[in-house]
Amino acid sequence: MAPSTSKRLKAQKISRHFLIGNTAVQLPHPSFPDPPEGHSKGWKVYVRPLPNGPDLSSWLKKVQFKLHHTYADASRTIEAPGPFEISETGYGEFGVEIRLYFPPESGEKAQYREHYLVLGYYGSEEQQERQRKENFIVAERVETIEFNEPTQDFFKNLTNEEQFNWLKVKKGRGKGKKPEMVFQGEVPPSAQLPEKPVGEAQQKGGEPGKGGIWSAQYERQLVSQLDASEKQLARMIEEEKAAAEKRKERMQELGKKIDAAKA
Amino acid sequence: MAATERRTSAPARSFKRARVSRPPAHWEQTSIGDRPDVPLLKHWQKAAAQTPSFAKYKVEPEVPEFSDEQYEEHLKDPNWTLEETRYLIETYKGCNGKWTVIIDRYEKPERTMEDLKARFYAISAVMLQLETPIQSMTAPQYKMYETLKDFNPKQEMSRKRLAEGHLHRKKDEVDEEAVLLAELQRIMANQESLDSLREDLRKRLDYPKANTNSYQYSTSQALHALWQQLVNADRLRKNQRLRPVGPGQSATSIEGSTSGQTPASARPRESNAGTTQHEPSPASNTKLTEKDKRRFGITEVGPGEKLPSGVSFASDKLSKPRIAKSTVQTEKIAAVLSHIGVPDLIPLPTPPVIEAFESLMGKLHTLLDMRKVAEKEEQELRVREAEAGAQVKEE
Repeated sequence: MAPSTSKRLKAQKISRHFLIGNTAVQLPHPSFPDPPEGHSKGWKVYVRPLPNGPDLSSWLKKVQFKLHHTYADASRTIEAPGPFEISETGYGEFGVEIRLYFPPESGEKAQYREHYLVLGYYGSEEQQERQRKENFIVAERVETIEFNEPTQDFFKNLTNEEQFNWLKVKKGRGKGKKPEMVFQGEVPPSAQLPEKPVGEAQQKGGEPGKGGIWSAQYERQLVSQLDASEKQLARMIEEEKAAAEKRKERMQELGKKIDAAKA
Repeated sequence: MAATERRTSAPARSFKRARVSRPPAHWEQTSIGDRPDVPLLKHWQKAAAQTPSFAKYKVEPEVPEFSDEQYEEHLKDPNWTLEETRYLIETYKGCNGKWTVIIDRYEKPERTMEDLKARFYAISAVMLQLETPIQSMTAPQYKMYETLKDFNPKQEMSRKRLAEGHLHRKKDEVDEEAVLLAELQRIMANQESLDSLREDLRKRLDYPKANTNSYQYSTSQALHALWQQLVNADRLRKNQRLRPVGPGQSATSIEGSTSGQTPASARPRESNAGTTQHEPSPASNTKLTEKDKRRFGITEVGPGEKLPSGVSFASDKLSKPRIAKSTVQTEKIAAVLSHIGVPDLIPLPTPPVIEAFESLMGKLHTLLDMRKVAEKEEQELRVREAEAGAQVKEE
């Protein structure tokens, strides 16, 4: 490749949010027909974009999922454009190794991430009740990948409007050279988190369904939760300080006693 | 629901009934629950339909409830006493949460409506948070909590003042404002069209730099061909412009000698093409607006900071600090974190979350250091106590 294209842009960073997670259902279930003997759960592990986020294939070339070694062909690779998902049935939880490969123009090596499958009900009682009722478990998290000082070509790809095309609708009769892409959804596409929970999640009270709960509002909730924990820590530090003060007094008292006894 | 009295419709109806046959109706009186302040309601009631229930309109306003201990622990405020707080909540309940009525009925010392609201919302927020800790709040609950918490009496007051000022405007002031607004709109519209024109112009100016153009003539042969083409085109013209100039002479020499020598002009041009080819990327980089940068998730780092090379994951900043060099220390960190309610996996590694987590970890390390010191001091204390005990025995 010509040196000009692999040149890196100094002091620039491009971040992309994406989801790593799994969904799980109790078998029997219509989407998992004829499971092998002893398999009680159907699950799907995935790497997905956020509902209003840019297309993953703008920076992701392929994903390799490494399942537990008891599965037939345990390491499975999915090439762009995806969807980067693996559907399987099973009975036990295990850590899935996820290896992300980047396109050649990025000049980056593949990276490892891990996701521990969650197949059982989890969370508060209310959440567990809902999971039981709907027979649907979602365990996912947002991951943020940061491309530090990207190459020029890679930068061009990551600032291309086409990465939002998957969210848009083709307009016009398609006779022209290029169909016009128009966005008609609810939240305008962006690499940033949406302000409020998106779509279904809003009615469902923020249950993670299709990644809809991830929003700036949720971020503020997390931050204030951490702040509350920090305040608790501050109280513990105060207590510790008081205890130290007490020990000091006791020490002095004892010292005097010893001195008195000596004298 | 209500006790319902029923009078049958008057029997002597001499006028002709409407042709549409309707089920007979009754004239009814309904009283609403235990509300003596509302008079009996009189209305026609279809016979077939069920008796109307006004009970559904009897909605008790939701008020935060707290015990005296809870007040002592969480709700204290130097400007408020427990009695007055309770009085406020009673009044709120009595007036169905209508603030204009509440401020009218409020008989305690002078307070503005904003004071009352601020107090009431603050209590509601605290109680809500005590009932459901933040981490288990659902999205609507948290939204509610946020609104309650973020109530700003000063802002509210200035908003009302502005609104009031708005009411007292004079006719000519209103007219002037309308004119000014129209003017502003016109300016904005002009600005927009100017912007789009400018954008267009910029695009045109950038056009020759486009990659495809320079690629096409990047080799000396291609440039030569281009030159020939231009010369041929020029020949057809009346006043030939290319001949008299330097390159033109070299072009004629090619025609004459056919030695295949590259024209002198081609060389500098080639290198030109090369440089223009390099430029577009940084240029396109600066062309991105702030909004686009946000949209594409680009952050620029100041000259002082240094970026790690290659790819990094933000969630590592939430998981790596939990692991210390020794397993014992790691376990201690985990124990404290679970005690203060920080989950093992924080599912959203955005910069504000990371910042909050890092400041929390800072405090946590202070605490662990203090505990280490405490352990040592305890040890020393025990030694001293034993010493003192021994000396007392000796005597």
